[in-house]
Amino acid sequence: MKRMSPYKTISVVVIAVLAVLFIFPLYWILTGSVKDAAAINAAVPQWFPLAPTTDNYIRLFSNPALQWLFNSVFMAVMAMILTCITASMAGYALAKKRFVGKQLLFSIFICAMALPKQVILIPLLKEMAFLNLHDNLWAVILPTVGWPFGVFLMKQFSEGIPGELLEAARIDGAGEAQTFIEIVLPIIKPGIGALAIFTFINSWNDYFLQLIMLNSRTKLTISLGIAKLQSEMSTDFGLIMAGAALAAIPIITIFLLFQQYFTKGITMGAVKG
Amino acid sequence: MKLKKMVSVMVCAGMAASLAACGGSGSGGSTTAAQSGETSADTQAADTPAADEGADAAASGEGAAITLWTYPIGSWGNSEVVNSIVSKFNEANPDIAVSVEYLDYTSGDDQVTAAIEAGTTPDIIMEGPERLVSNWGAAGKMVDLKDLWDDEALEDISAVSEAVVNACKSSDGVFYEYPLCMNAHCMAINYEVFEQAGALQYIDQETRTWTTEDFGKALQALKDNGVATTGVVYCGGQGGDQGTRALAKNLYSAQFTNDDHTEWTMNSENGIKGLQQLVDWCNDGLLSYDAGAVASDELQLFANGTIAMTFCWNASNQANYASQVSFTPYAVAFPSDDGTPELEGGIYGFGIFDNGDAAKIEAAKKFIEFVCDDETQGPVSVTEAGFFPVRASFGNVYEGAENEETMSAFNSLMQYLGDYYNVTPGWTEQRTAWWNMLQGIFGGNDVTETVNSYVDTCNAATQAAMGQ
Amino acid sequence: MNKKGLSPMQKALVRRETISAYLFLLPALIFFVGFVIVPMILCLVTSFFSYTMTEFRFVGLENYFKMFQDEIFIKALVNTVLIVVVSVPAVTVFSLWVSSIIYKLNMAACSFFRCIFYLPVVTGTVAVTVVWKWMFNKYTGLFNYVLTSTGVVDQPVSWLGDSKTALWCIILILFTTSIGQPIVLYISALGNVDQSLIEAAEVDGANDMQVFWKIKWPQIMPTTLYILVITTINSFQCYALIQLLTSGGPNHSTETIMYYIYYQAFKLNQYGYGNAMGVILAIIIAVFSALQFKVAGKGND
Repeated sequence: MKRMSPYKTISVVVIAVLAVLFIFPLYWILTGSVKDAAAINAAVPQWFPLAPTTDNYIRLFSNPALQWLFNSVFMAVMAMILTCITASMAGYALAKKRFVGKQLLFSIFICAMALPKQVILIPLLKEMAFLNLHDNLWAVILPTVGWPFGVFLMKQFSEGIPGELLEAARIDGAGEAQTFIEIVLPIIKPGIGALAIFTFINSWNDYFLQLIMLNSRTKLTISLGIAKLQSEMSTDFGLIMAGAALAAIPIITIFLLFQQYFTKGITMGAVKG
Repeated sequence: MKLKKMVSVMVCAGMAASLAACGGSGSGGSTTAAQSGETSADTQAADTPAADEGADAAASGEGAAITLWTYPIGSWGNSEVVNSIVSKFNEANPDIAVSVEYLDYTSGDDQVTAAIEAGTTPDIIMEGPERLVSNWGAAGKMVDLKDLWDDEALEDISAVSEAVVNACKSSDGVFYEYPLCMNAHCMAINYEVFEQAGALQYIDQETRTWTTEDFGKALQALKDNGVATTGVVYCGGQGGDQGTRALAKNLYSAQFTNDDHTEWTMNSENGIKGLQQLVDWCNDGLLSYDAGAVASDELQLFANGTIAMTFCWNASNQANYASQVSFTPYAVAFPSDDGTPELEGGIYGFGIFDNGDAAKIEAAKKFIEFVCDDETQGPVSVTEAGFFPVRASFGNVYEGAENEETMSAFNSLMQYLGDYYNVTPGWTEQRTAWWNMLQGIFGGNDVTETVNSYVDTCNAATQAAMGQ
Repeated sequence: MNKKGLSPMQKALVRRETISAYLFLLPALIFFVGFVIVPMILCLVTSFFSYTMTEFRFVGLENYFKMFQDEIFIKALVNTVLIVVVSVPAVTVFSLWVSSIIYKLNMAACSFFRCIFYLPVVTGTVAVTVVWKWMFNKYTGLFNYVLTSTGVVDQPVSWLGDSKTALWCIILILFTTSIGQPIVLYISALGNVDQSLIEAAEVDGANDMQVFWKIKWPQIMPTTLYILVITTINSFQCYALIQLLTSGGPNHSTETIMYYIYYQAFKLNQYGYGNAMGVILAIIIAVFSALQFKVAGKGND
């Protein structure tokens, strides 16, 4: 290893300082969840919980908090799986097949992919009511899967598939499905990983869609549940922190465990319009 | 070359999209119209068979499963308490299953709106007339509750307050709310801090009232005694607006709306004078404002002892914050120039959404009747909310209770209840405009100008709402 | 696409490929058409109506005229553009800088920093927002505590209550919650840059800057495009922050179109008006995405 240049040394120090800003909210959530009201509201911030209590968690579990957590996981995982399947198929077709309407279709996908859901909320609500899905987790999952971002991403990845491989498979007599599963999927696997993470996190955090589509207490997601713990006349910070910790710990654990898998080889393919 | 191609693709895409849109607008439009037509037809269709089935099942509401949504009004937001009320109801009516969902004030209205548009509204909802009557009632989503408002109820409730009766019915005289309890929103001071600053002398402890002049002196006394922040005029939005309204309007006895509830009047001379006074106090450092704080933030500051008074107090908050305060929160009316305040009221009760099922409506009525009118349950329902009964016959529901003394203090403020103008059409717009107006004047905008434009906004909203 | 002179055999092949392509596209199209295009069309149609809880009446372009006379809408539009224009480049540049420093550190240090910057993303927006709200509190918040106790300011600042600072606070929080994903991606992309090219350039006497711009930058371009796209998506969707922190205040200084649409639709029940604003926003975003794609995509040819 070469000696670090002064620029690098200073940069690392700056980044380390900034890192505190990023780690602090989580630290505050974890410590806040074991503080009592007096410690939380102390005029001088209590940097470390002096008298830890489990009281906040006891109150949290008087709500169906585990059910909320389960709902969030179910919702995010289903959205993730469905998006990965539909998007990798569509992305492959857009990248590697020649067909009528390809450019038009791709342009529409591009134009629609950054569209915030607020824009179509009322019609979407009406549609879900029509499908009898309001107050059902599927009302949150289905629109998430419909979002065209995944198709765009998978198209970019599929551009990297060598045409000769596909040609060879065809000459060997492999069917379309077989080619897709045996040749295409292994190549675009890192892309699917990136898409899976993005979809999971986005649907986990899509507070607004959840707010509008769900209303039964047993069908809430954890984000919604936490937001609802705040009331008009008081903010029970400890309780909310306990909820936040419950929501954060599983995802952080997953992230830490699968970190290598998450981050290895996620390099984007070439851009083609 | 590539650029040209891209542009032409974009143009084509645009054209195709607009074509699709044009094609769609015809069919889409008719679909939507047909759908809304269907909805009303459905409702009628649903009405008729239910009416046909007639007296037996529908009238008794037997075997129905109903849903209740409550806002956190006292312990009515607490599942244990509400479950115990439901199980008592089921002792008398074992056939009616009641499921409960809990709304919060931050997102509750949005969920109700979503439910109305999705057709998944609950059967019963608990809140106040500004939502049940002026909002959902006026939109034709609620059931007329005239059966509940029989002569006995009318008389009993009128004996407490005629204003409650009027608030619960729409401008065409249809009752959309059946009230359970009421309260007067007041303010509270930190008794010990006031005592130490020698500021207690400015409060008439007999009547718990004070004049504007004395309030100013009290602020000065607190400041001289080293209280860094006396009170905070919170204007961050989302609830608790009654506190800032009551403060601003009482200082010079302004009226918030006209008597008919058709126009907003805070731009009167006295209204502007009151708001100007608040700004002046803030500029002199006697009072503070924070556009980043909402009512709950201000209450927390008060409970911590950081500030010496709160403008958002009532019996329910007294109970909620009891475990957190290490001083005596002393409830007091808002200061007014003549010493006779007009307090903001809260009226809480039940309404029924028209889901087109007569059996459910009957069952819902039974539930409401049990909760509000039952001789033993009624008073309990009221104390769970932490407020005061709307029925004269209930008497003092806190008699012999642990908190009898505190509650009688709050009860003594009930006599100052002012006009219930929350039912003025355009209320929702007014609430938002109010926060923006406060944020504007404390941010340094000219008071008269800002208040005038606030009133214009509100009046426009009211006219639009009444024109419908 | 030159279709002239194709033999029947070739035509059949083209047709077969088209059919198979659409079969592959079918599942995605069902969801896309069903839950994006159909609602979008309904949105467009109802934007020509005075559509509330109680009425549904054709009014032509009235909602659109009203919109451009609505000062709050204009303000919301400006704020929305400001958020995107500030946060997208800021996130991209900052994440590239951080990644370019930490990807060269040893494995453990690199993993450590990567995790830390990723934490706000996985902690969940609602939870992180609650903590930030406390940090920004005028009386009991962390920032004012630190600033007043170190004597930087004498009067506590109302961070979220001052129209001069509120939007920047929102952008800061948005920044911390958007930075994680780009850093992870850039580290990965930089790690995959062809080492032999770098070494060759260094042998030829190229300095660090030259190596970066001539060798690394073109190779990480696709990643940059991806990051631009996801950051844009995130920035346009920063609804929860505003709802939970400022409700668009003070004095509409943090109003964004997304929040204003929500306010018109869900608080005032002006669905038609909300939908009309949605249509305008959709057009703006479509143009923005297309441009971004073009600009970033061109550099790669």
